[in-house]
Amino acid sequence: MQFFMINFFTPAFGLILQEVTSGRFAVAWDKAQHPDLSKFLTIGALLFIIGVAGVLTRRNIIVIFMSIELILNAANLNFIAMSRYLQDTGNVNAVAGQIFTVFVIVVAAAEAAIGLGIVIALYRNKETIWVDEIDILKW
Amino acid sequence: MILTGWEAVFFWVFSIAAIFAGLLTVMARNTIHSALFLISSLVSVAALFILLHAEFIAGVQILVYVGGVMVLFLFVIMLVNVGSEERGSEEIFNRPRQVTTSVIFCALLVAALISAVNEGYQGFEKRDANRIQIATEQRLIRDKSLDKSATGSSRITNDTGRVASSLYRFASLPFEIASVLLLVAIIGSVMLARTLKQEAAVDDVDSDTLQKEVAHDPELGEVQPKPLA
Repeated sequence: MQFFMINFFTPAFGLILQEVTSGRFAVAWDKAQHPDLSKFLTIGALLFIIGVAGVLTRRNIIVIFMSIELILNAANLNFIAMSRYLQDTGNVNAVAGQIFTVFVIVVAAAEAAIGLGIVIALYRNKETIWVDEIDILKW
Repeated sequence: MILTGWEAVFFWVFSIAAIFAGLLTVMARNTIHSALFLISSLVSVAALFILLHAEFIAGVQILVYVGGVMVLFLFVIMLVNVGSEERGSEEIFNRPRQVTTSVIFCALLVAALISAVNEGYQGFEKRDANRIQIATEQRLIRDKSLDKSATGSSRITNDTGRVASSLYRFASLPFEIASVLLLVAIIGSVMLARTLKQEAAVDDVDSDTLQKEVAHDPELGEVQPKPLA
């Protein structure tokens, strides 16, 4: 019985929804089926913000380093998405974004090596990995 | 650049996976779990790179990040793991007031970024709609003329070749500088991670500091500095 009721009311609900949201829901659904550059940039922005939040809120210095990797990765995603967009529209050197990404990865690897070396030296001398206990430079 | 059909499905799957894995990286109590969630986030982003026709970068991402950098992270976590975080005796976040402030800041930043992206992209869309249409049709025609791969399930593109030639034509000097940077990073991390005993063995410690430290650790006084050849 209930099943038939739902079947009977579903088209009406659809119409009401369309009236209330003035078709915006349908447009959004249509856009979601065809992701374009703006969707990739949004995902990149979200990953970036998650990384920033990690750097600002965590106490463990290793997790802070991992959040920095997340930030760099979000930048890479933006570079690649823009590169693909330029391949379709521009006449400039369209794969420049991918080359930038290679260098970002190189710098991230160097940063991780140096940073983790510092973490090991710090742990040997101060016996802590909590950033609020590493305060020798605080006056 | 518009994804359709299965590409759209894969886009949503991998982007949601990347964002959730990123959130769990920041929120996980155990540092090892954080590292593993970061690995899954990086792999999802590599899959997004493949959707964007950047196969080489996706491979580099998995080889360098997941295979190199994250293994280094796991090594260091194992070396310094204190365990108090897991047992719950230590707070994993900063003090509540700091956390509230930074979360509010991040929420404002994300709202600003997303609205800026959407506003800006509408202008892009208006300007480039024709060119995107033409480029999409041309890409379809060009893809049909490409060679089939050995299994016949896909076609061999020349995108990676374009990246390589562009890298060596326009960015050969930065490429060399990057190799010097990596060398400096290797030497620097070896220098940073030495113990005081190893430093004394190559006569690299200030004599006053050495005498002060010998008072704590008499073994250090027996180290004979070896002059560098």
